[in-house]
Amino acid sequence: MNPDVRGWRIALTPDALMNPSRTTLPDVLSVFESSGYGVLQLPGQGDHSLLLAVIADQVEEYSHHGYAVVAIGLQGEPGHGLHWRRLAPLLRHRGIALPPRHIIKADVDAVAETHRLATWLDNYDLPVEEQRRWR
Amino acid sequence: MEQKSPRKVALVANCLLNQNAKVCEGARYPGVVSPVVEALRSRGYTLQQLPCPELAFAGARRWWAVYEQYDTPVYRAHCRRLAQAIAPLIEGYIRNGDEVILIGLDGSPSSGVRFTSTQRDWGGRPNHPEDDWEIVPRRGIWIEELEAELARRGLPPIPATGWALDMGRFDEAGSRRDLDEFLDGRR
Repeated sequence: MNPDVRGWRIALTPDALMNPSRTTLPDVLSVFESSGYGVLQLPGQGDHSLLLAVIADQVEEYSHHGYAVVAIGLQGEPGHGLHWRRLAPLLRHRGIALPPRHIIKADVDAVAETHRLATWLDNYDLPVEEQRRWR
Repeated sequence: MEQKSPRKVALVANCLLNQNAKVCEGARYPGVVSPVVEALRSRGYTLQQLPCPELAFAGARRWWAVYEQYDTPVYRAHCRRLAQAIAPLIEGYIRNGDEVILIGLDGSPSSGVRFTSTQRDWGGRPNHPEDDWEIVPRRGIWIEELEAELARRGLPPIPATGWALDMGRFDEAGSRRDLDEFLDGRR
């Protein structure tokens, strides 16, 4: 029996959500755990050109092999914390469709935002024929 | 760099936050390795995920491999590139006075901290159905190159341990006890 239980879904996640400075934000790691998503952590603000290129390489590899990749942003952070102006061209250059994005609203009901995130994550995956091809 | 209050920062092997990075048959969790995250967050650690060296080098559908197979000049150069990508963040933490620790993946040929996997015979046509590799006390290739890059920057060694996911037979409770002892021993 294959003991592998990977979830085949991955969320690009800003540092500001991984390590929130406010308790009013959803606990995204708990949501990822219950929804079966892995994480690719994006760095905080600053120039991280080489690290973003490394992350784009990983997204490319996942995208070519049946993994669903999404991006979770945070309202109020520059570029929603996703470094999108830098990351999007890196992904396009690699021929990768940009991952669908979900933006967490700051300073609203965290319980409602948690539910909204969980519902969005649970409802997203690759088309069934792509899943059958790889998984 | 802006000076911030010192924090506790845990550098975490990529696959401990993303089991999709594991080699085929190696994922024991759907995504996040929750016992590791819980142990770190409950003690106030900020999480910093490290890049996965094997995924972008050998691919998502790579063969299983041992230390000797990854111990090549090109793989080490790839690891150095990754180390140079993440080292500025780590240097920033250390220069800020943050308490930095490293949680790797024991038994891994790349991310092992206390132990890595070895088998001098592995190579060529994959025909080893039995688990005939050995575990030896040694860093994996990626951790060796990361530590070398940090040393090149004049940074002190980072206290480190490993989550024993790749040791052959995985014992989650034992791994958790190990991790708790390491973390509590730092108080």
